[in-house]
Amino acid sequence: MQYLLLQAIFLPLLLSPVAYYLGKKSGPNAATWFSFGILAYCTALVTLASLSGTYEEHYPWTQQFGEFGLVLDGLASPFAIIIYVISTVVVLFSKPYMVAKITAQYEEKMHAQKQVVGDGQTAMVESSSLKNYVNNQIGIYYALLLVMAMGMLGSILATNLIEFYVFFEVMLIPGFFMIAFWGYEAKRRVALLFFFWTHVGAVILLLGFLTIGFNAGSFNYADIQEHGIPHRLLALAAVAIIVGLGVKMAAFVVHIWLPHTYRAAPTPLNALSSGAMLGVGAYGFFRLLIALLPGEYAHFALFLNLWGVGTMLYGGIMALVQDDIKKFFAYSSISQMGYILFGIGSASALGLSGAEMLFVSHSLGKVILFMMVGAIILQVGTRSITKMGGLAGKMPITATCAMIGVLTLVGVPPTSGFMAEWTMFNGALQTAIQEGSIIRMISFGLGLIATVITMAYSLWMIKRVFLGKLPVHLENTKEANWYVTGPMMVLAGFTVVIGIDPDIFFNQIIPFMKGLVGV
Amino acid sequence: MDFSSLGFSASALNVWAIWILPFVGALVIPAVAKVSKKSPGYVAVAFALVSAISAATLIPLALHNQEIHNQIPWISSIGLKAGILADPLAAIMTNIVAWISLLIFIYSTGYMKGDKDLMRFFFWMSFFIGSMQLIVLSDNFLQLFFGWEGVGLASYALVGFWYRDKKKDHVGIEGRTVLGLLDYYSPTQAGMKAFIMTKVGDIMMLAGMFLIFAFAGTFGFKELAANTGWATAMSSQNLLIPAAILLFGGAIGKSAQFPLNEWLLEAMTGPTPVSALIHAATMVKAGVFLVARLGPLFFALAAAGISMDQFFEVITWVGAITAFLLATQGMVQTEIKKVLAYSTGSQIGYMMMALGIAGLSRQFVDGYTAGFFQLISHAMFKASLFMAAGSLLHVVGSRFMTDMGGLRRLMPKTYVFMWAAGLGLMAAPFITSGFWSKDAIFAAVYQSGNTWAMPIFIMAVITAVMTTFYTTRMIGIVFFGNKSKHVEHLEKEGYHIHEASPVMWIPYGILAALTIGVGVLGLAFERKLHNIFTAYLSSTFGIQSQVGAVATGSSQLLGGFLEGVNPIALVASLSAFAIGFVLGYIFYIGKFVDPAKFVNSNIVFYAIHKFFLNRWYLDALINWTFVVGPLYLARGAYRYFEDRVMEGLNLIPEKTMAGGARILQSTQTGISQSYLYVFGAGILIVVLLLFV
Repeated sequence: MQYLLLQAIFLPLLLSPVAYYLGKKSGPNAATWFSFGILAYCTALVTLASLSGTYEEHYPWTQQFGEFGLVLDGLASPFAIIIYVISTVVVLFSKPYMVAKITAQYEEKMHAQKQVVGDGQTAMVESSSLKNYVNNQIGIYYALLLVMAMGMLGSILATNLIEFYVFFEVMLIPGFFMIAFWGYEAKRRVALLFFFWTHVGAVILLLGFLTIGFNAGSFNYADIQEHGIPHRLLALAAVAIIVGLGVKMAAFVVHIWLPHTYRAAPTPLNALSSGAMLGVGAYGFFRLLIALLPGEYAHFALFLNLWGVGTMLYGGIMALVQDDIKKFFAYSSISQMGYILFGIGSASALGLSGAEMLFVSHSLGKVILFMMVGAIILQVGTRSITKMGGLAGKMPITATCAMIGVLTLVGVPPTSGFMAEWTMFNGALQTAIQEGSIIRMISFGLGLIATVITMAYSLWMIKRVFLGKLPVHLENTKEANWYVTGPMMVLAGFTVVIGIDPDIFFNQIIPFMKGLVGV
Repeated sequence: MDFSSLGFSASALNVWAIWILPFVGALVIPAVAKVSKKSPGYVAVAFALVSAISAATLIPLALHNQEIHNQIPWISSIGLKAGILADPLAAIMTNIVAWISLLIFIYSTGYMKGDKDLMRFFFWMSFFIGSMQLIVLSDNFLQLFFGWEGVGLASYALVGFWYRDKKKDHVGIEGRTVLGLLDYYSPTQAGMKAFIMTKVGDIMMLAGMFLIFAFAGTFGFKELAANTGWATAMSSQNLLIPAAILLFGGAIGKSAQFPLNEWLLEAMTGPTPVSALIHAATMVKAGVFLVARLGPLFFALAAAGISMDQFFEVITWVGAITAFLLATQGMVQTEIKKVLAYSTGSQIGYMMMALGIAGLSRQFVDGYTAGFFQLISHAMFKASLFMAAGSLLHVVGSRFMTDMGGLRRLMPKTYVFMWAAGLGLMAAPFITSGFWSKDAIFAAVYQSGNTWAMPIFIMAVITAVMTTFYTTRMIGIVFFGNKSKHVEHLEKEGYHIHEASPVMWIPYGILAALTIGVGVLGLAFERKLHNIFTAYLSSTFGIQSQVGAVATGSSQLLGGFLEGVNPIALVASLSAFAIGFVLGYIFYIGKFVDPAKFVNSNIVFYAIHKFFLNRWYLDALINWTFVVGPLYLARGAYRYFEDRVMEGLNLIPEKTMAGGARILQSTQTGISQSYLYVFGAGILIVVLLLFV
């Protein structure tokens, strides 16, 4: 078997025009199922490749940058699998949501035009042009989504700094357009804001890469470790990488782009971004800092740990007081990224494994929850938490899945969240004891307190959205259609399965992390 | 199917079945609910029955001091195994849980009849006992924690079962405030409070677990007991006692001990069978079980020269304070389930006190047996009381005792059973199990020889007086006197108040009868338990009991019958019962004095009454400190920090870029001459750079 990974990365890119064309000609169904098919196939390829341990592909590239390699090892495969699973599932969820959103935009546009032109058109023309408009737009949407998936997977599998950077930037562009085309409120402004921040992050990252690459004489990961680079330069490069990836992960202080973006972005993009894109930042920490610059990592580990705790607490506290449900989950995502950062800073094999597991777990949980948000926006038409209530009786499947999603975030067994959190906290405590570090002890304790905050804001959200009295204006709410509930149930089942049998991922993650930092 | 390939040992399958079956039942229930609306109840009962029968097969283990230990691979990458450990302790506990839950399940099929969410109800009930059995039978901390959070989750779902927050499902008096905060909780609020408050205990427990794991490298109870090197290492770093106390923190949360006791009251918003399950068989007993699991492990460290006195002191004091604190509040409640809830917390306090004092005395097994005996008798009478109270609520349609009254003739069976179980709670002398278990606790405390034995003993006795008083009061208000206005109103409307259906009264009848039955055989039962635990503790942990100094020792009071009863403890029990009962009788059965007038007669009584009714202001203070205050601060942080200061970070690049664009824009003049000048200047600069 050859070219498994090459296919998995480039098929979505190459076939994205087809998705557009299908959407334009045959409508949303064709585009949805075509995109679903491609991504499902590619997910299968990645999974297949990961079954036999480390899997590599190498292709010649330019002289300056080194080779174009794709590696799926114990670190990359959980990331790769989850990112593609999420992308695949989001394709289905996108259909009802985006059709409704595009239709709404069309009506808005028509309304605006009518006011300018005056009522002259017949209803028939309007309905046929609405169909064309939706088909065209949904085609563009799926083409962009495929490109985004490709960008995310590419950065995970890359074996070369420049390769990483290229893919890293590629995934921003579809995001920018999605917000600008189908966002809410000040969508253009926010799209620019999003692009500006993540781009600045990426450029800082690039500076770090260039420092390393020029000094090592190669951009290949494999070559870099063998070259002695002056410590001062390396430290600079490490700082650049930490800041660049920190922006991507929306850690505290540089998180400020995220709430705006999440509020304005269409919900499927929220799901993709929170479930997959932020994870690329986390992956970067493992691959570029811990694996590539272990010496620097040792210096910065404590800082990352504390930064993580700060982000956990700050995001959680902000989430407590949000009313817009999308912003609520934006802060919740920030807080969860804090967890991952906390684990990354734990400097122990178990802690790092837990951090990676937390990415898996958070992706599953948060995508379920964003689907819930989508379902609510579709069915209820409001985003304000105070205007909801008692929806569990009307949307039982959504409510049940959302509850599982919440338990995953909080880390209650038997969800995957618990497997992630106990290993992570356990690892953090081990390091604290070994180093005899009081600061690490305190950070461990604060981390545990942050889990209580997570629980408080999550359960409070569930209470305000799904429980209590049903407001009169929600009497006629119906359960979301199965494009939404189906994927939700699959993911909910998945998180429980991982929670009971974590070996599915731990078997790959833990040996890798042990190799990385010793036992 | 061949289970042995997975590591299941054939002889251990019945043990696995005990906790797996309820979960299987839970998963089957949604499927069968599609077929028939009524089926969930029967399916749940069937699975509970098979699980209980499997549990019964473990009784010989307890009697012969044997154990079954079986492990299967779990998280193989770090070498963790899942396993079951059925030793005498677990064997006894699992039977209590299984049989009492079975009765509660049967009762539920009557109580919940006609509810449209039967599927959800029985799903969570099954999940609840599955999780509890998982706690009991786990052989390691991590797996135990699955059950631990499972009962938390189930309690959250069941306490908030009536999630529509109708007025009748609330707890408290509408509009009543304490320190400016409502003392009136809706089911969903109560569920959330229960889950979050116990989670606070859970994170402490996690921290304790991890501390031990960091040194021992294992979560297994047997491994920890076998090699105590970890304990030596930990105690040399002064981490052992903190770790043990953190573990106990989990028990504080789950068992609603001070200072995490406030969730238990609001948990009364759940359907009554849920309250019965939480209070008698699962949830709050989980904490006691954890202490029973860990107590000997830590006590046995004395052999390695490590003193765990501080740990046991904390347990004892937490237990004593809780017992006292909650009993005081139990005396002033008007809602029947709240009286019972306070009494549970208080009784659990007794158990903790006994288990704690065990570790402080030379005779570990005495306190240990006493605590566990109390657990058993409490499980029986409290389940019975709750189910009987459920019948009352069901029939009268109000949670307030003041809406009942004079029900003695209308519901004779419930009346009799409530007396029987109530006498158990009051510890009525010689005929109830509650008497012997409480007496054993008094004796254990009194004989412990600890510095603090006397104050704790006195607190325990005063608590016993209050217990008898509030139980008598409850029975008096509900069954004696005149019918309340509410009852008269019901009857006027043509509603006939009648005895509950047999499917409901038989379960609590059985338990009430058992309370008396075990009571009559009390001493023999206690001695048997004592023997079982003596054998278990010595063979598993090497804790030897000193022959001759046993609590059931040498007094010759009342001839041979009471041989082995500590006279002082006996006198204390008897007088506590007598005082409490007489006081209760005067106020509520004989009605010689009007309690309301009595309280209002004097500012001191009034103040004390109000203080108790306001829950010692603890709930309000906790709410202010951990909910209202922080939320207020969080809003401020959002408004003034996140939305102003941090937002500035967005504005800086935006403003700079917009400003920069404006400056650059001004160069776009459209005048070719100026462009040419700049072009020329550019060439000049390049030339200079190249040649100079």
